[in-house]
Amino acid sequence: MLKKMKAKHANELILLVILVFVIILMGMLSPTRFFTWGNLATIAFQMPEFGLLAIGMMAVIITGGINLSITQVATLSGIASAFLLSGDFAAQNPVLGIIVSIAVGLIVSVFTGLFNGFFVAYVGVAAMLVTLGSMTLFEGIGLNMTKGGSIAGFPSAFSFIGNESILGIPVPMLIYLMMIVISYFMLERSNWGVKVYLTGCNEVATRFSGINTKRTLLKVYVFSSVLASIAGLVLISRYNSAKVDYGSSYMMQSVAAVVLGGTSINGGYGTVAGTVIAVAIIQVVSTGLNLFGLNRYLIDIIIGVVLIGVLAIRFFNKKWETAQLLKISQSDTKQSQCR
Amino acid sequence: MRYLFKKKEFGILAVIILMSVVLTMLNNVFIRPDNLIDVAKGNVVLCIMALGMLPVLISGGIDLSVSSTIAMCAVVGGKLLVNNGSNLFMMIAVCMLSGAGIGLFNGIVIAKMKIPPIVATLGTMSIVLGAVLFYTNGDWITNLPKWFGEFGMIKVLGLPVQVLFLIAAGAITWFLLKFTLIGRGVYAIGGNAVSAQRVGYNIEKIQICIYVYSGAMAGLASVMHTSIVQQVDPNTFTGMELNVIVAVVIGGASTMGGVGTVLGTYLGVALMAILKNGLVLAKVPTFWQKIVMGSIIVFAVSFDVINRKREQAKLERVDVEE
Repeated sequence: MLKKMKAKHANELILLVILVFVIILMGMLSPTRFFTWGNLATIAFQMPEFGLLAIGMMAVIITGGINLSITQVATLSGIASAFLLSGDFAAQNPVLGIIVSIAVGLIVSVFTGLFNGFFVAYVGVAAMLVTLGSMTLFEGIGLNMTKGGSIAGFPSAFSFIGNESILGIPVPMLIYLMMIVISYFMLERSNWGVKVYLTGCNEVATRFSGINTKRTLLKVYVFSSVLASIAGLVLISRYNSAKVDYGSSYMMQSVAAVVLGGTSINGGYGTVAGTVIAVAIIQVVSTGLNLFGLNRYLIDIIIGVVLIGVLAIRFFNKKWETAQLLKISQSDTKQSQCR
Repeated sequence: MRYLFKKKEFGILAVIILMSVVLTMLNNVFIRPDNLIDVAKGNVVLCIMALGMLPVLISGGIDLSVSSTIAMCAVVGGKLLVNNGSNLFMMIAVCMLSGAGIGLFNGIVIAKMKIPPIVATLGTMSIVLGAVLFYTNGDWITNLPKWFGEFGMIKVLGLPVQVLFLIAAGAITWFLLKFTLIGRGVYAIGGNAVSAQRVGYNIEKIQICIYVYSGAMAGLASVMHTSIVQQVDPNTFTGMELNVIVAVVIGGASTMGGVGTVLGTYLGVALMAILKNGLVLAKVPTFWQKIVMGSIIVFAVSFDVINRKREQAKLERVDVEE
């Protein structure tokens, strides 16, 4: 059984090994400052927003698309929530106000997901182009609402979500762990999840198999947007304000994390576990090198090198494996990416 | 004549003419020659990068690293001018070569290691931008030699020299795509890579050439940019790659590959330029401009897709089609 598990999850195990290696490496670079509760807390507070966006991006990439608007959806739903939070209603009834504003943020994100999903699934436009357009559109709406500035003045109870801990575990981390479990069950252990993977693998074949690929795709984009809005919630709670630019660097980083985690960019394959471990790797490297005092631009270079390096290693590994299997000659027929 | 109407570029041209008419009615500063020349000059950089991106998109790939490449070439060119005070040809050559170098790296990673272009160029973008910002520390280069400032202001027959470079770049791209074997190979790969390989095209060589060309064009665009603004700011180029892709796609290329023309790219850039200029002249508030741009992008690409689907449905198909 162990051998079967090892073969099926080889990718995730390799990533886990890389994660452990990277943790040890970062610890060696700054031993006194890395292995402290404070540093662990920093990572635990920062990783969830990145991780949630990465899982949201992964769901879309599994279907063969990409969601460039994910960070703008996060900020837009954050801004929508912030509008209500900074108003009089929330000041007078904090708990009810917080609940209503979270609901509003989620509803806004559902609408953005429906917008993206409609154009990708029902009109049939390439995902990259739709989300590129909607990224600009949502940014414009957000700018219109905030007039370029930031919205602040939330009830003090709201910062509990982003800054406090329950039983020693930071609240963002709890939310993240909960969403990891939910995403795992939704994507890898449910009917809808199977449809998502099938649609990503071969959309035409799936459609002719009787699955409503359009509805499946629509739900994927809504799922992605909802995760983005939860990330946005954590963001605005941590910053205690809402602004259009928050988290804008996470878009490319989340694509990097998803690809690093083993998801195929053409769709059809990807695991929640792989993405989560890859997010952890990038976060640990980033925080560790930051602690070590390395210039933040060099950190960007290193993450880019790690991305290309891991993919190159995977390619050479696969080439070696294929050569082993076909000892006669290298065939150049197109091999399906889906496993 | 009907053949002309069916071409995709005609649709874009019609939209451009319509927009220009509406804008002239709203604010007739738009149609003035000096405004049009200013708009042209301001979009030369975007257009040259779009000409470099065109073969990449036709082949079905994508190049997200152009924004970092142009930043790097601008810094290299700026340092060259400030420290060595060389002449124009040297600067253009050095900038284009450094851009081509980045393109070579991209091409090798994509062609030899079979890493998907979106991921490979994403990685390159991070690496190059990090390197540029680390080397310059975000500092601007402002003390460019005076002769370079004069070069930037040259006008030939009333057209700024940058526009002439743009026309030359477009002519070269058009020639390469239409009349050379490598150019036809680009369309072949975009149509169906496996079939192209069976026919005999060397996929790897063509892919490397495509990305080298994209990098070289980014290098040329950096020279143009520096000659217009007369300074080098490594940070202003972030996010440019998405604008370039939008312009090329609106001009008729598809992210799936196989289609695209130089004329279409010109028209796509022109449409985005007129839109932006028009929004400013029509005194639309800044915040609304992004909303309008975003909506137009979404509707423009959907319109294109719906048209294409309708045309395909008209053809009689018996068996399964993609």
